[in-house]
Amino acid sequence: MFKRLQTKLTVLYAGLFALALSLVAVSVYLTIANNAQQQVRGELAATGTVFDSVWALRTQRLRDGADLLSRDFGFRAAVATRDAPTVDSAVTNLRQRMGLELAFMVGIDGDVVGVDPAKIDIGKLWSALDHEDGAQGVFVVDGAPYQLISAPVMSPNLTGWIVFGARLDDREMTALEQLAAIRLDAQVFDRRGETWVTTDKTADAKALGALVATATAAGKAVSAPTRLRTAAGDNLVLVKRLKTLDGQTPAALVLRYPMALAMAPYQPLMAAVFIAVLAGAALVVAASWALSRDIARPIAALEDAARRLRRGEAVHVDVRSSDEIGHLSDSFNLMAAEIREREVRITELALRDAETGLPNHLAMEREIEARMARLAPGEQVVVGALGLDRFTVLRSAIGYALFNQLVAEIGARIQVIDPEAVVGRLTTSTLCVISRLTALTDEIVPHIEKALVDLAAPVRLGGELVDVHMTNGLAAAEAGTIDAPRLIEQAMIALDQARACGRKVSIFDAAAYGDPASNLSLMSEMLQGVATGALFLHHQPKLDLRSGAITGLEALVRWAHPTRGLLRPDLFVGMAEETGHIRALTDCVIDRAILDQRALREVGHDLTISINISGRLIDDAEFADRAIEKIAAAGARFCFEITETAVIGNPDVALGVLAKLNAAGIPVSIDDYGSGLSSLAYLKQINAEELKIDKAFVLSLENDAKDALLVKSTIDLAHSLGLKVTAEGVESRQALAMLQMMGCDLAQGYHIARPMALDKLVVFLGDWQISNPLPVGEGGARRAAVGG
Amino acid sequence: MKIAPILFVATILTGSAHAADLTVSVRGPDGKPVSDAVVTVYPNGQPTRGPIKFDWPYRVAQRNIQFTPFVLIVPAGAEVSFPNLDKVRHHVYSFSDGNKFELKLYGREESRSVRLSAVGVAAIGCNIHDQMVGFIKVVDTAYAAKSDAGGVAVIHGLPDGPVVAKVWHPYLRAPKNEKTLALTAVRGAARETATIELRPGGH
Repeated sequence: MFKRLQTKLTVLYAGLFALALSLVAVSVYLTIANNAQQQVRGELAATGTVFDSVWALRTQRLRDGADLLSRDFGFRAAVATRDAPTVDSAVTNLRQRMGLELAFMVGIDGDVVGVDPAKIDIGKLWSALDHEDGAQGVFVVDGAPYQLISAPVMSPNLTGWIVFGARLDDREMTALEQLAAIRLDAQVFDRRGETWVTTDKTADAKALGALVATATAAGKAVSAPTRLRTAAGDNLVLVKRLKTLDGQTPAALVLRYPMALAMAPYQPLMAAVFIAVLAGAALVVAASWALSRDIARPIAALEDAARRLRRGEAVHVDVRSSDEIGHLSDSFNLMAAEIREREVRITELALRDAETGLPNHLAMEREIEARMARLAPGEQVVVGALGLDRFTVLRSAIGYALFNQLVAEIGARIQVIDPEAVVGRLTTSTLCVISRLTALTDEIVPHIEKALVDLAAPVRLGGELVDVHMTNGLAAAEAGTIDAPRLIEQAMIALDQARACGRKVSIFDAAAYGDPASNLSLMSEMLQGVATGALFLHHQPKLDLRSGAITGLEALVRWAHPTRGLLRPDLFVGMAEETGHIRALTDCVIDRAILDQRALREVGHDLTISINISGRLIDDAEFADRAIEKIAAAGARFCFEITETAVIGNPDVALGVLAKLNAAGIPVSIDDYGSGLSSLAYLKQINAEELKIDKAFVLSLENDAKDALLVKSTIDLAHSLGLKVTAEGVESRQALAMLQMMGCDLAQGYHIARPMALDKLVVFLGDWQISNPLPVGEGGARRAAVGG
Repeated sequence: MKIAPILFVATILTGSAHAADLTVSVRGPDGKPVSDAVVTVYPNGQPTRGPIKFDWPYRVAQRNIQFTPFVLIVPAGAEVSFPNLDKVRHHVYSFSDGNKFELKLYGREESRSVRLSAVGVAAIGCNIHDQMVGFIKVVDTAYAAKSDAGGVAVIHGLPDGPVVAKVWHPYLRAPKNEKTLALTAVRGAARETATIELRPGGH
């Protein structure tokens, strides 16, 4: 949730404290509010009681006045004699004396004296007065509530009632309000129709009226103080039923106290609590921030240090507290130092040859990379691979330990000769020298050869002098061409090349080495070539030594690679055999040969075409079946050339396939006879038509009497077995003549013709027929033809 | 003023052919007897011609700060005496129409007389003692009687024939505190029950 420990701790502590403080504040507020409300309730109830007393007192006062008048003999006489003016004056007199708003006389016959009868509901009043002796209560006169007190006038029997009234107006209510201990608001409500009204002009009279209606409907004399929330504020309201004169039109005293007033005395206290809460919370936030910073800062420092340590930087955490974090920091620093130390040692070990103390292969690569990075354009890094010759001999002679000493000594000598050179060890017997030279040219070779002589001075090891011979391979590269490992590899190859050529110093020859990497995709490209026709055939003519005519051709596959040009078969045939693509290749060769033979026939040359069948295909019956089918369908005349060794792998199947070929009229020729493990047993078993003597014997036929003898006896052997004999590699007139003398049947070789494309072959065959219409007795004429 | 329904039950008893007693039993709505009710009967609905004489004294004494009797029937023009039998003095007055008088403070063993000439009621009081109330019923018929504690008023010597009978009580809840009975004729001795409603509180 929180990404930083400090934030987490601060929020946690501050949050908890704020929560606790909030609870305190809320409970304080609730207690205060409750208390205030309780107090106001009590006060309202008390004021209600006070009002009762006030009401009773005034009732008594009014009653006393009424009684006084009603019993006055003169007054009674005036009433009894219906002396209205006298009655009116008496009533007015007493009203003024008592300071009343209203005083009047109601006769038993309903006459009213002392007030305008229109202002009073006489019927209602008379009923109320008649109903109860000395009736009193609230009564509405002229639209305003009055407290009316009546007293009967007896003279001596009832002749009427004297009625006194005190208006329940604002002044009256204000007087009552002043009696209360709290500043409450008192109002009298009376019901007119269905609504409760008041003479008081208060904003929320309507809401209060509704409340009064509810409270009085409950039927209680005094309602419990009720909360009333209006636009004007929150009030506590007490509704007290008032006795009405007629007992029918209800009236009520409403005491109201605004809660805001009740709460006012507590405002400073609550403000103080609020400020205390805020201040406390702020203090806790600050304190926990500071505290958590003290905790989090070292941890953050440790975390940062750990990250830098991971990147391999030297780190030290500076925490000087004596607590757990301090201990942790000390341990961390210790650990970081040890890691650093170990890393240095490991790096040293990784870059140094343990036996000689010289930089190792990896160190040399790094050095080369460093130099390449510093090279100016056109400059090269020159690397030499210095190999100690006769390693196995030396090691057996002096032992491995002394041999290591020898290597170290040579390294030291190189440093003496060229102090700027960097010397390392590549393999047990190979040193690597990174020269200060920035270009590698052939002119350098003599200098190095001379230096090698100095280096090769005998070394004294264990009291004995040891002769040292060395070969040096050189390679150079510009920055950005090849990487350091490849450059070292090239130097090693140059070393091998030098040894192969028997030279002391050699510069890496890329052409001679080829590029093995480029062959990786060769097979898929070859399959593409089969499909696109990039693979085609060259044919080498075979000469019949008896007739002097060209009687056959050997088909040799060629590949016009789209980027690498014409590829030799030995580059891809062997690979095709290895990777199982030989069948597709051979199928392609057969297809091309069928086409080529057809083309030759069309120009009048009907020649047997020999096709090389790999030993891996000879025991593949399915291949044979399909080849036979295809050849038969095309009406082609082919000869399959196989080697004896091809049969050795799986003789039963292979011989069966050969038999099948023979049965289909496809002759078999034994190729390269004499080069491999020629077995007479197989020679006997293979039902072949022809035997081809390997060119190794034929090439040295003129100079080597033994070879001549071998070829002669092979020809004789083949003839004895009923086989025709073809000699390959005929490159001279003498050889051709000797073979003719030996009774060889056919000859093939550069002396007769090189393998050639179909168009050139057509031309060649045409020329041959013109110059050799008859069987040849002597090779001269033929040679003239071959020269073309 | 609320007027209660009057339950009227007349029972005519056979008596003398010319003159007989009418006994009226006055009761409240609850059936309890009402005393001090005055029953007046007008044969043929006419007042009695000539002087009227009742066989009880025309006197309202003041004893124990009370008027005794509470109700007195006198014929019009009779002189009523007001002897004071108390130790205190009294100030007897009446504001009733036609019978107004005032007997200012007079003491023990003193007597004052007042001639009451107007038919009707003289409500008498004492200006000193509010609780003292009494009534004098001034009548113009010889046939009048006051109900006793048992609520029974007996009118003697009432001739047969049609009558108008009324009952009056100072607190009777009716105009002029008077009610006409349903009885319209008498023949011989008769019994009548009059049910009346009184004002609560006694005024």
